[in-house]
Amino acid sequence: MTSIQDNDYKAKLIASVKKEVKQVMEESVTKKFVHEESGSVTSLCGAVEACLSQGLRRRALGLFKTSSTTALLHKIAKHSSEAALISKKVIDLENLDPNRRSSSSSDSTTKPVLMKNLSFQNVNLLPKYLWIRLALFEKQLSRIIDYLVTNASRYYDKDALVADPDYGSILSSLLVGPCALDYSRTKTADHFWTDPPADELLQRHRISSSHSTPPPVRRPIPNFRRSLNTSSDESTNRCQTQHLAKDYVESLHQNSRATLLFGKNNVLVTPPKAGQIEPMPGYLSLHQTANCLTIKWTPNQLMNGFTESDVPDKNIYWDYAIQVRLDEVVYVHCHQDVETGGTVILVGQDGVQRPPIHFPRGGHMLAFLNCLETGLLPHGRLDPPLWLQQSYATKNHKRKRPLPSLVENEDEPKDFVFRIVDSSNHKEISVKRHDLMNRNGHMVTKVRAQLGSSSTSSESSTKSFSIEQSCTINDGSNVCIQAVCESMKRQIISRAFYGWLAYCRHLSTVRTHLSGLVHGTIISGENAKEGLSEEKWAELFVEGVLNNPDEVYKLTYYGGVAHELRKEVWPYLLGHYKFGSTVSQREELSEQTKQAYETTMSEWLAVEAIVKQRDKETQANAIAKLSSESTSGEQVPPQIQRDLSNDVFEDISDYEFDSNEDLTDNEEKQKRMKKTEQNTVIYEGSDEEKQVNNETDALPDKLPQDDEEVNVDLENLRLTNSVLEEACSSTTEHNSQIEETDLRRFVGNVIVTNPSVDMSNFSMEIRRKSSLVALTEENGQSLECIETHGLVSPARSACVSPASSNGGVYSPELLETFGLNLHRIEKDVQRCDRNYWYFTCENLDKLRNVMCTYVWEHLDIGYMQGMCDLVAPLLVIFNDESLTYACFCHLMERMVENFPNGNAMDCHFANMRSLIQILDSEMYELMHSHGDYTHFYFCYRWFLLDFKRELVYSDVFSIWEVIWAAQQVASSHFVLFLALALLEIYRDIILSNSMDFTDVIKFFNEMAERHEAQAVLRIARELVLQLQLLIENK
Amino acid sequence: MATRKKVLLKVIILGDSGVGKTSLMNQYVNKKFSNQYKATIGADFLTKEVIVDDRIVTLQIWDTAGQERFQSLGVAFYRGADCCVLVFDVTAPNTFKSLDSWRDEFLIQASPREPTDFPFVLLGNKVDLEPRAISTKRAQQWCLSKNNIPYFETSAKEALNVEQAFQSIARNALTQQSQSVDLYNEFPDQIKLTNTTNRNSNGDSCAC
Repeated sequence: MTSIQDNDYKAKLIASVKKEVKQVMEESVTKKFVHEESGSVTSLCGAVEACLSQGLRRRALGLFKTSSTTALLHKIAKHSSEAALISKKVIDLENLDPNRRSSSSSDSTTKPVLMKNLSFQNVNLLPKYLWIRLALFEKQLSRIIDYLVTNASRYYDKDALVADPDYGSILSSLLVGPCALDYSRTKTADHFWTDPPADELLQRHRISSSHSTPPPVRRPIPNFRRSLNTSSDESTNRCQTQHLAKDYVESLHQNSRATLLFGKNNVLVTPPKAGQIEPMPGYLSLHQTANCLTIKWTPNQLMNGFTESDVPDKNIYWDYAIQVRLDEVVYVHCHQDVETGGTVILVGQDGVQRPPIHFPRGGHMLAFLNCLETGLLPHGRLDPPLWLQQSYATKNHKRKRPLPSLVENEDEPKDFVFRIVDSSNHKEISVKRHDLMNRNGHMVTKVRAQLGSSSTSSESSTKSFSIEQSCTINDGSNVCIQAVCESMKRQIISRAFYGWLAYCRHLSTVRTHLSGLVHGTIISGENAKEGLSEEKWAELFVEGVLNNPDEVYKLTYYGGVAHELRKEVWPYLLGHYKFGSTVSQREELSEQTKQAYETTMSEWLAVEAIVKQRDKETQANAIAKLSSESTSGEQVPPQIQRDLSNDVFEDISDYEFDSNEDLTDNEEKQKRMKKTEQNTVIYEGSDEEKQVNNETDALPDKLPQDDEEVNVDLENLRLTNSVLEEACSSTTEHNSQIEETDLRRFVGNVIVTNPSVDMSNFSMEIRRKSSLVALTEENGQSLECIETHGLVSPARSACVSPASSNGGVYSPELLETFGLNLHRIEKDVQRCDRNYWYFTCENLDKLRNVMCTYVWEHLDIGYMQGMCDLVAPLLVIFNDESLTYACFCHLMERMVENFPNGNAMDCHFANMRSLIQILDSEMYELMHSHGDYTHFYFCYRWFLLDFKRELVYSDVFSIWEVIWAAQQVASSHFVLFLALALLEIYRDIILSNSMDFTDVIKFFNEMAERHEAQAVLRIARELVLQLQLLIENK
Repeated sequence: MATRKKVLLKVIILGDSGVGKTSLMNQYVNKKFSNQYKATIGADFLTKEVIVDDRIVTLQIWDTAGQERFQSLGVAFYRGADCCVLVFDVTAPNTFKSLDSWRDEFLIQASPREPTDFPFVLLGNKVDLEPRAISTKRAQQWCLSKNNIPYFETSAKEALNVEQAFQSIARNALTQQSQSVDLYNEFPDQIKLTNTTNRNSNGDSCAC
């Protein structure tokens, strides 16, 4: 590297530090403080770190293990007191955090632990450049760097930046400035909004909603009405009371979603609801969000904290607070008063006045209007403009000055009216009003186009301005009032008409799309709230017969099932037991189920054995390949390669075919045997090769003996069973109890159902294997070796023979498919609810058995992720494999459509959309504004698993049984209403944070297993009822 | 002075079920390993703020379901991705074999503007486990054949190479989003996305 490049690089480094220092200093000036977490601080630290790393003698200092300069700090701590101080703090901080090893101090980038006082939940991690950061905050950084520069020869290469006579001192002097600053830990507005976790959102919501808890279920009609007359006074106030409480916490201050344009305390307002004449002092603020301006007024009682004791019930003040969206306001009336500072009255589109706002003296009204005008730009403006461009006086020197008479110390009181012109849609107004304008001949055309007709009504009563200030409209005022009245009349009528039209459309949507979602007849939940308790069960379950399905469903739907009864009731709910069946009928059914289950299980267990065997070999192949790759370079020796590419499976069938043909040809057979043995064992690796050779050498001596004894003898088979069992249990890793019975049946199965199996061959195989085992045991060889042979033989003898001699009992495709499914099941079963007490290894095996049996019976469907989650709760309740299996099959009849191959999920999403549209228009608007159907993907897991992942186990039970009962009682799409209920519970959080698709996904993923199931159920039932009533009303 | 614009980078993690996608994500974001993860259903994401070069970027890391049947959901989640992380399990050959189909499927569903240049990063996870079935060399060859994808061998359990891998992921995603040249590119500690550095970074972790 040439020194020129080097110098360039150093210059760049210094330049970047300069840049960052400048940024931090500027921030401190403009914002009055710099936040510790500010990006510019981090960037500065990064730049400093880069400078310090350059040319650091890591190797010489023994620092080469870390990439950061933290170790350097600890090193110099011995010599420099400043460094020692920071070093100690760094160590302290790191010790606080159990997740970190101290060596990797600055490699991570996360939310800092320094700010533990902040409300973030996940701040257990240290920030990047920790020590530099700390040193900066402690104002020691420049001194530490000074030290480094002075002693650069000890720590740095001679061409390093720090060792450079110029750059070194520049660096330390650059940092003097930032070190003099005070850094704030207070969360500022910009930081406040960085992805608050669900906890934080809930917390905020709880704080802010303590005053008014909005009803979680919204009635559709009032809601709908509100959207019709958004600007009517009581509706805005209603809106206010609901929203103001939580707005108070967040929105009165500057934040990233709303800019505070104006704020003034002690502004007097007579709240409409107060019923008192005295105006109350309060805080007036003007906020700008992306889509509109909002004027808010909050009574002082609410502003002065929550500790004031003289106000017994502050809640009433929430009713007084005012919030006005400026897009609902058409006119701003200003009344100047010599005594006071002036009054502003806002008039809405509907002509209704908002309560007057009395400003204190001191030009506040003008300031307010000024801010208002600025805020309206660029999409709207005040008309006439507040500031006139006096271009007449001097053409070249344009001078801005306020409207002459708006200055407070004018002699006589004056009133003004400003119209708020929304330039985005004023075009149509101007066209409509054209004729009206013409009547008012005095108006100057330029102004005319901007003015709406209705403005004249108020203009006539107060003094009006046009830009030229040349017109008086007194002559035309009568005509204008008439025209305005007419136009208002028209507007009112058309609004009413559109309202009615919208209502009709709304109902027709309900009828066409949603009537199928709930049952027409409403079954009342009277006397059913306590659910299916033990007593009720005793009443209903007479002599082992359950006769009253309606009652059972109703009780379950409204109150759930007592936990102890679930084992008995669930099979009824799922349709496994028939209502009215007797004890003996059910016993018979259970017996049948059990037998069928076991038969199926024995079938797939056989296939599983083959699959396992093949896996072992593929695995061995891969390892052999890998080791050959690593030991002997790129080329696999041809001999091994041949062996590797040999599919052992085929090889064996080959062999058996041969042995069928010429059983007597011992020599030939031995030769082949040798070959297969080599094939199977060689993959164990070169270490064992010797053993293998010993073994195969020894084999021929023993084999002919065995061969003579070959006869088809079941007795013989039984004897060898023990060997088989031992082998098989190690293969499948199942508990031996199940295995034993299954294997017996399985062996029988092979013999009985596949008569074409060559029996002699079969038993011979087993014999050979048993002798082999004996042989290896004799030789005292390693256990591993025995296992290997044990694994090979049963699979081969038992399962391959039918395949090979029968010509495809198990086709390769079937083996392939089932094998694939098996692996997936294996993976997922191991991961399924392992933190729940029930799922010990033994019970996980049960889960696996049920799952495999289902998949074996439904290979066309196959295993899909999520199925395990559906089996698990059933198994927990029943603790019986065959019953679980049967009930799971019933459950899957409905659920299978939710999985990727079905289309139920899309239906759910579409229905959700319609339901939200009907039941919560506000939420619908929010979702609509953010896009399309993808929004409902946050419901995906809910529907796929019937909320199983969203709730804790005990709640899953209660939700599931209600879903099942709901099919008979109220709705076969009850899951939709559960989903809606979840949304409703958190609707205010979702709305107030105006969450988009990703926010909602994150929120609900974080909220998993933390919902209140009973509340969700209650709301869901209410929602069903609400829709039922809505449809009934038609 | 103009404020630095916050950059949001969307990263999608793909790979067969059980290769450790969720674990990698959680190890990186929360610095935790748990053996309690369940099979991911649907999709989840975590965000993390990192500094790449001199910019603060927010990584939005999407963890997806591993079963290929759920790929049909992908289109909703893949959209707007800035980088795709492919994960396989070094002890399970099949997970390596399906990398091709994951990559292809992603390109089809996300349909990025320049499919050939879209940044992928390959992670061979579970290097702490034995026996190994896919050698470093084989993985690197695959990467080479796919327009020289960066490759990292990681262990979510031992937190091996995870930080480095995601740093590279963030960097790649950022390059995808803006082609601007940054000063810090010449800093010594960067991870070079060439073969030589790959070999280095594998050096500490590769057990073979």
